[in-house]
Amino acid sequence: MSSRAERDSRPALRPAGAGMTELRVDRIACTGHGVCASVLPHHFELDEWGYPIVTDPAVPAADGTTAIRLCPARALYRT
Amino acid sequence: MTLASLLRDAGLTGRGGAAFPTAVKLEAALGHRARLIVNCCDGEIGAAKDGWVVEHHLDELVSGARLLSPRRPATIRYAAHRGSPTAVRLHGAGLDVLEVPARYVSSEESSLISIAQGGLARPMTKRAPPFVAGGRDSAGRRIRPTVVLNAETVWRVLQLVEWGADWFRSYGTAAEPGPRLVSVNSPTARGVVLETEAGARMSELLSAVGGLPADAEAVLIGGLGGSFVPADAVPSLAWSTADLARLGAGIGPGVIELIEPRECPIALVDRFLAYAAGESAGQCGPCMFGVPALAAEWHRFAECPSAPLLHDISRRSGLLPGRGACRFPDGVARFVASATWVYRDHLEGHLAGYCLDPGRRPADVLTR
Repeated sequence: MSSRAERDSRPALRPAGAGMTELRVDRIACTGHGVCASVLPHHFELDEWGYPIVTDPAVPAADGTTAIRLCPARALYRT
Repeated sequence: MTLASLLRDAGLTGRGGAAFPTAVKLEAALGHRARLIVNCCDGEIGAAKDGWVVEHHLDELVSGARLLSPRRPATIRYAAHRGSPTAVRLHGAGLDVLEVPARYVSSEESSLISIAQGGLARPMTKRAPPFVAGGRDSAGRRIRPTVVLNAETVWRVLQLVEWGADWFRSYGTAAEPGPRLVSVNSPTARGVVLETEAGARMSELLSAVGGLPADAEAVLIGGLGGSFVPADAVPSLAWSTADLARLGAGIGPGVIELIEPRECPIALVDRFLAYAAGESAGQCGPCMFGVPALAAEWHRFAECPSAPLLHDISRRSGLLPGRGACRFPDGVARFVASATWVYRDHLEGHLAGYCLDPGRRPADVLTR
C-alpha cells in the first residue's frame, strides 16, 4: 500500500499494459460530485458545472478500483 | 443460405444513420432471442423516409420484420411519434405501435428500448455489451435483449430476400451498395423522399426540390446532427461517405436541407440551437447544461457579436462530444463547428458590425 504522497508523485502518463485499466463515466448516473478528479487529477478534470472531462482514461488498476469505489454516484466503470 | 449470410453478401448496413452492418446485428439478435423494434420515427429534422416506407410499402415492411424477428411476430413493435400520420397508419394496419413523444432524442435506439419496457423515452448509457444482449440501465433496472432496426433497413431485407444480393449490389457503389432513400427539404417543400443510391449526384437529388438556388451559400446534410456544406462544393459532390467526408459531412440518416439563401445564417443557427437546448433529455450534465449554454452564447453573439464570444462558442462546443449517454451532444457540436466554418464570412461580418443579409427573411426550417 503506497502512501498518498507517493501516489500523487506518480507520473501522469504510463505505458499501457499490465496493471492498467480504462475508466469510463456513466453520464446519466454522474451527478458531478467531482471525486474522480480528486482521486485521479491527472486523468479527470471538471467542467464549470463539476462534471468530469476525461483527459486520459487509462489509469493504474489499483487507482481505478479506488476511484470506482469512492464515486458517490457509482458512475465510474471499467471498459 | 441463412438470412444473415444473405445480408452479409449484400453488404446491407443500417439506414437509420449509424450504417452498422445489419448481418452482425441480426446474428446478435438471434443469439439472444432479442425482441424486435422497427424504428419508424424519422427523428432527425427533415427526415421523412421511415414514414414514406410505412405509407408506401407497409406490407413489405411487416413481412421483412417477420423474417428478422427472433421471436414470434406478435412481439414485434413499430415505433412512431405519438399522433403522427405514421403512427395512425401503423395503428390502422393493426400493428403493435410503440408511440413515443415527438422529441429529438426519444427515437434514439436505447430510448426506444427504455420506453418499450415501461421506462421513459430517454437514452440509456451503453455499458458493454450492447442492449441486444440485454443488460441494465444506470439505475440498475434490468433491460431485456432488444434489437432496434430502422424501417428502411427492414424493408431492404424483404427486397433482398425477394430479389437477391446481386440485384441489391447493382445499386450504389462497392463500398456502399444497395438502393437507399433520401429525404430532401427546401423552405417550400418539406420531406420529399427520393429513391436513390450511393454515388448519385447531389445536384440531381436537389433538383427534386427545384435545384440549388443561384444565390445559395450552403446545404445542410443530416439535420441538427449533421453538417453544413458550402454550396459551391455541391455541383461536384456525390452522395457517398467518401465524398461527403471530405467536407466533414456524412450520409447519416439521409437528410438534405436546402437553406433559404435570403435568411441570415446566424439567425438560422440560433433557431436550430434554441430548439436543441430544449431537446436535451436532461440526464447527462455535460448535455443538459452544455447545450443550453452553447445556444445562449450563440444567441448573445447574434445580438451583440464579439470575438471572445466566438472563442467561447468553439470552446464550449468542443466540450460536448463523447460526454453523453447518446450522440446528441456530439451532433450539436458537429453542427456548430460546420456552421462556424461554412458561414465564417457572416460571422466576420457580424463582428465588423453588419449583416450580409439586409433583406433577411424567416424560413421555417424547424417546421416538421
